[in-house]
Amino acid sequence: MTTPTATGSSWAFDAIGTSWAIETASPLPSIARGAVSAVIERFDRDWSRFRDDSVVSALGSGRAASVPVPADADAMLSLYAQLDAATAGAVNPLVGDALARLGYDARLTLTPAGDPEPAPLWRETLTWGDGRLAVSRAATIDVGALGKGRLVDLVLDTLRDHVDGDIVVDASGDLAARGEPVRVALEHPYDATRAIGVMTVTDAALCASGINRRSWGDGLHHVLDARTGAPVRAFAATWARADTAMRADALATALFFDGGPELAASWGAHWVRMSTDGRVQWSPGFDGEIFS
Amino acid sequence: MIGTTAVPRPVRISTALLGVAGMVTLAGCSGGASTDAAAPVESSAAPTSTSAPSSSATAAETGASGTYKDGTYEATGQYATPESVETIDVTLTLSGDTVTDVTVTGDPQAAESRRYQSEFIGGIADEVVGKKLDEISVSKVAGSSLTSGGFNEAVDTIKTEAQA
Repeated sequence: MTTPTATGSSWAFDAIGTSWAIETASPLPSIARGAVSAVIERFDRDWSRFRDDSVVSALGSGRAASVPVPADADAMLSLYAQLDAATAGAVNPLVGDALARLGYDARLTLTPAGDPEPAPLWRETLTWGDGRLAVSRAATIDVGALGKGRLVDLVLDTLRDHVDGDIVVDASGDLAARGEPVRVALEHPYDATRAIGVMTVTDAALCASGINRRSWGDGLHHVLDARTGAPVRAFAATWARADTAMRADALATALFFDGGPELAASWGAHWVRMSTDGRVQWSPGFDGEIFS
Repeated sequence: MIGTTAVPRPVRISTALLGVAGMVTLAGCSGGASTDAAAPVESSAAPTSTSAPSSSATAAETGASGTYKDGTYEATGQYATPESVETIDVTLTLSGDTVTDVTVTGDPQAAESRRYQSEFIGGIADEVVGKKLDEISVSKVAGSSLTSGGFNEAVDTIKTEAQA
């Protein structure tokens, strides 16, 4: 049973296409809420491919070949370089057009425009040096592999500037906690009333990814292999815990592919993943529970 | 996705041939139901020999009778499994419209993957059913992100259109 954390205040809202809940030891002053809203708005305006006025839409549509480099570009794209290397190219920040082709486009057509197509080779197309984020040809950045985790980290940092004590930032699947340990159920991807296990998060972040909700047709969902542009089929859900939500989110994505477990080992991170046939794997030395 | 790669013997092969099931289908379709086929290697007298074909045109695509030229057919295919892009080599021998020999040569990438998995995976459990959330004590639940607003409306719209 989900019980409230030992906190005094909960603030729930929708942003970037999902639901958020922020729990703090004391009620959040309005200035803190305003600061959080501003951080989310700025991130969305830089990175959302679902709004015409965003930076990534300008690059994706060809309206601009380069833009002033957004604040989080280096942190995220540098981590993408690690994901790319670990997964042999399966994770790629230029997967936006491949997602749109399957129907997950800015207008949410949700109807495939044709067979899947691979994402462009991003290291040859995208640069972010010299203060400019640039594409050598129009290409749509999609930071879905780790962007929400990055935003959770930014929101947590903002909150810590305003309030003391325990904080839990839960962006529905991506969660960061400071203070008391938080026991988190790992939701069964095929039955949301069940948990396949539990992980405890203490001054860390836990991110989950799954193919069951952001899905719009037979085999059509938002986790693509950039090398083919087709949705993955081997794994149904992943969970990873790391020091930051961005890294946990990145691992949760990498765990859909070969190379994810090795990357997690190199970061000392623990994880769980369930394949589409219902089998569950976990990291060596896993310190949580699996209800097998 | 299946795509043929440039190989020393640039034989075109249909996607249906790049799977055991596809090859079984071919073996059983002497009437020529299959419309694609690989070009034969010009060495039907010696099935294991593999000299390059002079062109990639296929025998079956032009043959009205749907019969296949005897010979040894070879292709290298790449296909994406959900977690990697893997490569197989397929060799099959046709004689009198019957497949007399099939060889599928495995995939070194996958073998490497399995080695990695044994090293970096701590455990595996079959078919985890899990426990009811109300039977365990937790303060949070982590699964795939809830969808809100536009996405849900768009999914509802396409479901409605699909029923119309």
